[in-house]
Amino acid sequence: MRYGMVIDLQRCMGCQTCSTSCKLSNNIPDDIWWTRVLTEGGDFIDTGSGEYPKVSMQHIPVSCQHCENPACVKVCPVGATFKDADNGIVRQDYDKCIGCRMCMAACPYTGVRSFNWEEPKYAMDFQVGDPSVAPHQKHTVEKCTFCVNLVAKNEEPKCVRSCVGEARHFGDLDDPNSEVSRLVREREVMQLLPEKGTHPSVYYLV
Amino acid sequence: MTENTQAAKAAKAPAATFGGKGLNIGIIVAAVVTIAGLALWVMQLSGGLVQTNMRNLDSWGLYITMFMFLVGLSAGGLIISSVPRAFGMEGFGGISKVAVWTSICCTVLAIGFVVVDLGQPLRLWELFAYSNLGSPLMWDIIVLAVYLILSIVYLWATLRAEAGKVSNTALRVVSVVALVCAVLVHSVTAWIFGLQQAHEFWHTALLAPWFVSSALVCGTALVLVVVIALRRVGYLKLDQKHIVKMAKMLGAFVCVDLYFFGCDLLTSAFPGGSGADIVAMLTTGALAPFFWIEVIGCALAAVVCFVPKLRTNPLLVVASLLAIVGIFCKRVQLLVGGFQMPNVALPGPMTSHTVTEWTSGMTGAYQGMVYFPTPLEFGVAFGVIGLGALLLLVGLKYLPLGPVEASR
Repeated sequence: MRYGMVIDLQRCMGCQTCSTSCKLSNNIPDDIWWTRVLTEGGDFIDTGSGEYPKVSMQHIPVSCQHCENPACVKVCPVGATFKDADNGIVRQDYDKCIGCRMCMAACPYTGVRSFNWEEPKYAMDFQVGDPSVAPHQKHTVEKCTFCVNLVAKNEEPKCVRSCVGEARHFGDLDDPNSEVSRLVREREVMQLLPEKGTHPSVYYLV
Repeated sequence: MTENTQAAKAAKAPAATFGGKGLNIGIIVAAVVTIAGLALWVMQLSGGLVQTNMRNLDSWGLYITMFMFLVGLSAGGLIISSVPRAFGMEGFGGISKVAVWTSICCTVLAIGFVVVDLGQPLRLWELFAYSNLGSPLMWDIIVLAVYLILSIVYLWATLRAEAGKVSNTALRVVSVVALVCAVLVHSVTAWIFGLQQAHEFWHTALLAPWFVSSALVCGTALVLVVVIALRRVGYLKLDQKHIVKMAKMLGAFVCVDLYFFGCDLLTSAFPGGSGADIVAMLTTGALAPFFWIEVIGCALAAVVCFVPKLRTNPLLVVASLLAIVGIFCKRVQLLVGGFQMPNVALPGPMTSHTVTEWTSGMTGAYQGMVYFPTPLEFGVAFGVIGLGALLLLVGLKYLPLGPVEASR
């Protein structure tokens, strides 16, 4: 089994609901985002390129690509970054992480890994989100978990459930009958940095 | 104490005996710097690495630069002393023990810089409990540990051989093993960077041999400086012909290193595209000062080393320092340059943890150097260097590292 995600770029409108619901569901500390919606267009977020009337802007949600051939897992000296053999999710063991940041250097997908550069701070003084989320730790690396805690309960990742445009799909890429497999098969898809040979489990419908 | 006062009196006659007051003051200063560094390190750990200028998109900084640099510096001593012995050539006249001791100090420093970079140093034991033997970082830890132990064994064997307790054959075997290990250390350190497909600047097969050549440059230069200085203060006597031989070696190493750099630049630039962007970043972009200091400094060093008239001691020291500074600049280019070109540069939500200059957005953050250290980082780095200086001086004071007649 290999969990994967298919994101329909034609349906994404850059509302960042996935980013914020992810942040809430995982009780993510201040200054850290596990998933972010980037803008392809101008120099700044939510700006387009070109000159009216020939302008273009495209939003691309980016988080951990849960690669089939993850660069981060190979380089972690203590195995704190590992690939879950049961479901292909690339996971991070906060209790093991020594904070060397080798994984951050090795990951080609700029900015999907975050380091807790200080003691985690929170906007709320109580824990929010799902209680089964592992507590965040100072000086350790973290990133999108594909909501492994929710998936274990047969739920979909938070970003998939919360997407207003229903742009995100989640399922087993190894199962030819799953929705994600069907979408990858039937629609025109794109992957981020395919030339790096990491074989991401996240596909984008273009 | 009596020994110290005697030595202090002797120090009044320059170039006669070594040690005394100056050395003791040096040791005290180094110890103070080390303790100050330790205090800053504790501050860094308690307040968090947020006090450094490292951030998610430039997640390594001065510490890892210094790590690369010191692994390189550690090469020279061991190679200078083990190459002649391993190949049965005439040596460099009794400096081999001092040279190996500088190697040992540099290796300790290199390890120290990895430790201060870690977020969770108390979990270091996990490296042995949960070793992922596939990680280049793990290889480096293993090779560095072996290298350190071998250097100590080599130094011990040299001392025992002088006392007639270890045969020269045995010493030669140890020197060969140490030499192989030295080459491995630099290669493996290069592989920490060179095996990452994520950074085009790092991802080249040339990186390992290039690290070896850079190590030879700054290592030999360091030994030259140390030896000329120690000869000046009367710690050892050394024939000028050995200095000249080492200077010629330095010149040759510098040329090889520059040649490798040229090959790499050409290979990157020729096809155009992103490789050409890397070359532009180095020659005219944010890292240009470091690039030109390295290239011009190394070229000047080579000229001094090769022109007999220029091979005077002061100029040789200048040339060596230029070479050392040049290689340091190269390490800066490598480390910062690796982070200077993000693969996914699209604008998105940014926070104070994203990148050092996060307020100016994705484009703004990469206008100048993406990373520059904070005073705290300089302080901690200074403390680690203090530890190295302390080791070096204590070794010179208490270990029998001076030349004996038999080893010349």
